Amino acid sequence: MAERIGEVIQVYTTRFLAQSDDLSTPPHFGSFVRAESQGMPIYGLVYNVYEASIDPNRRAMAYGIEREELFRHQPQIAEFLKVEFEAAIIGFNDIGYIRAYLPPFPPRIHSFVYPCNRQEVLDLTEDLEFIRSINALPGLPIEELAAASIRLAYAERENDRAFLMRAGQEIAQLLKDEYEKARSIIRRISDGG
Amino acid sequence: MAGRSNKIGTIVSGSLLSGLEAKLAEDVNVEGISIGRLIVVDGKDNKFFCLLKDVSLEATNEDILLNPPSDDFARRVHAGVNTFYKLAIQPMLITTQDPTGDDRPRPSTTVPPHFSPVCEATEEDVSLIFGSPGITNPEIGSPIFMDVPVCLNLEKFCKRSNAIFGKSGSGKSVLARMVLGYLVKSDMAITLIFDMHGEYGWSATSEGTGSDDPSLRQLLGSKIAIFTVDPNSPLYMRVRPDYDVQIPYGAIEIADLELAAGELGLTQAGIETMYRLADKWGEEKWLARFLDMDTDELSMAVEELKVNDQALGKLHRCLSRLKRLPFIRKEVADDTVDRIMNEIQAGRHIVFQFGRYNSMLAYILVANILTRRLHKLYVDKTDLARATGIDVPKPLVVTIEEAHKFLDPQVARQTTFGTIAREMRKYNMVLLLIDQRPSGIDDEILSQVGTRIVGELGDERDISAVLTGLPSQGTLKVLINNLEPRQFLLTGFALPMPVVIDAKDYDEFCREISLGSGIIQDEIERRKTMDELAAKVYGDDEIIFD
Repeated sequence: MAERIGEVIQVYTTRFLAQSDDLSTPPHFGSFVRAESQGMPIYGLVYNVYEASIDPNRRAMAYGIEREELFRHQPQIAEFLKVEFEAAIIGFNDIGYIRAYLPPFPPRIHSFVYPCNRQEVLDLTEDLEFIRSINALPGLPIEELAAASIRLAYAERENDRAFLMRAGQEIAQLLKDEYEKARSIIRRISDGG
Repeated sequence: MAGRSNKIGTIVSGSLLSGLEAKLAEDVNVEGISIGRLIVVDGKDNKFFCLLKDVSLEATNEDILLNPPSDDFARRVHAGVNTFYKLAIQPMLITTQDPTGDDRPRPSTTVPPHFSPVCEATEEDVSLIFGSPGITNPEIGSPIFMDVPVCLNLEKFCKRSNAIFGKSGSGKSVLARMVLGYLVKSDMAITLIFDMHGEYGWSATSEGTGSDDPSLRQLLGSKIAIFTVDPNSPLYMRVRPDYDVQIPYGAIEIADLELAAGELGLTQAGIETMYRLADKWGEEKWLARFLDMDTDELSMAVEELKVNDQALGKLHRCLSRLKRLPFIRKEVADDTVDRIMNEIQAGRHIVFQFGRYNSMLAYILVANILTRRLHKLYVDKTDLARATGIDVPKPLVVTIEEAHKFLDPQVARQTTFGTIAREMRKYNMVLLLIDQRPSGIDDEILSQVGTRIVGELGDERDISAVLTGLPSQGTLKVLINNLEPRQFLLTGFALPMPVVIDAKDYDEFCREISLGSGIIQDEIERRKTMDELAAKVYGDDEIIFD
């Protein structure tokens, strides 16, 4: 199993918040992650990554020194920072079967989060049903998110043009009432090919 | 018949009245879909035979039309989702999914369910609709884009008056020769052809190559009798006509001259004067006497009849044109109509030719005079046959070219051709109209035409005229507008549904009809086998099947 990248610290039915294990390897925007909770892997799509002070009452201050150099000279500063990421829940693993809809309950707090392996990405992106789920969530940068996740799935498929075409058609179908949105996603994925 | 391989779309909406609409499948190239195609919709229990009448571009969203996809990838992605093609199809016939021998396709009275697959018709579908080729059901072409025979049911064909329309160069003469050739070969009817341009006798000049194509006499030999008014024409270099025709002045009625009023330059006053003359001098004699008069005699006639001298002079000049037709004589040796009737009784088919006298005047006069007499004889014969219970005579198919000259609304009610077109199928006499100007034909006659074979037509009025009295005119109009030379729309009584065909190759027709090859050969073989079988079973006693 790949190395864990974080731990769940807040959950809702449709999304969860996790804290990254270290500052240097935060998950990518639009990547697929898995939260292991009560023996049921729950899949999320990372839609927001941010770095902040661990103390909500204290903001980080500008030092005017390059980040690497600053951490070398004053390693304690790193201890006061954290990376957190939010993921939209897009499915779960039901005893070996990947279901592209919401699980009965979200992952529990303190569940560990892992990056999805290649096979999981392929399975999750097989029918692109998740784009419909994330489109329904308010406040998400849907155009960027859909394009980023499709580009990632495309790369995992070793740049299979047929998949890109299928994904584009799915987008056109899902967003047929929002042509401008569909158009901008399609433009973003076609650049990647 | 689920899982046909040639599916091209899915039914999405429509009605029986206005036609069905189908969405074209995304993997089908729209440029390969042309109107006039035969389409089959696979319903749950039934198959629907339809005609493709229109293809349209559609979009689900106005925005995509305002901001069209900029690159090929985006165009392909949106294809089938935001942009798609709609097929308008007209349901025509319906049959069960697995028809047994007795199930003939019947007119469609309902529509297939939503999302029924739409497929291109296959060979089996076409033969289910139009039957398999045979001697009474000859192949006259194939549906456009297909290589499957479309057959014409001759039994039905000769029960009604029929028409072949098309502008010159559309191939209507060649098709007419084929239809008539098959009619002769099948012996379903006797044909009488008024052959204005000498195309149905020995040979005809092919428009494409300029060479001589064999025509009916060459192909069918002694089954065809050639009558001519011009025995010295170069037409008869290779074959002698069977009969020279002469017509006595006495046989010409005023109604015949009225029909040719345009050609003779007759005015209404002239026509009235003719009636005066006929009253005075006798219906059979006046014309000969009038044409013999010189100037002095004319002035005497003016006094005798109390008519305007200028009017009479003009009438004389007009009617004198008849003198230029040498086959119209005072005295004739025998009666042409009797001869024609004898030939008809002997089962021969008649081609009536005009040689060098192929003026409209000669054509109208002769065709009208002969047909009027034949009509009387046929009515008497049929009535007699019915009264005494003997077999009624075989149907007589009278073929006339330039049909609008005989059937224009002004004269159609009076001429024999008008009567035949309206009534005569009851007396086993029908017309085959060949014309390039159908708009000149009376509406009432057009609506009585049983089977219409329509080639390329240029004029909008002609197209509307040929559709008179037909259902789904909108669809058919589109089909006619898109015809090319040698393509024909077939619709009406002898066809279960309208179909656009590429006419059969003439050389193939010639081979089939003269050598008895192909279907006709098969039929001969079949009959021979049956005769042999009969001989085996019953010995040499005269028992005839069929």
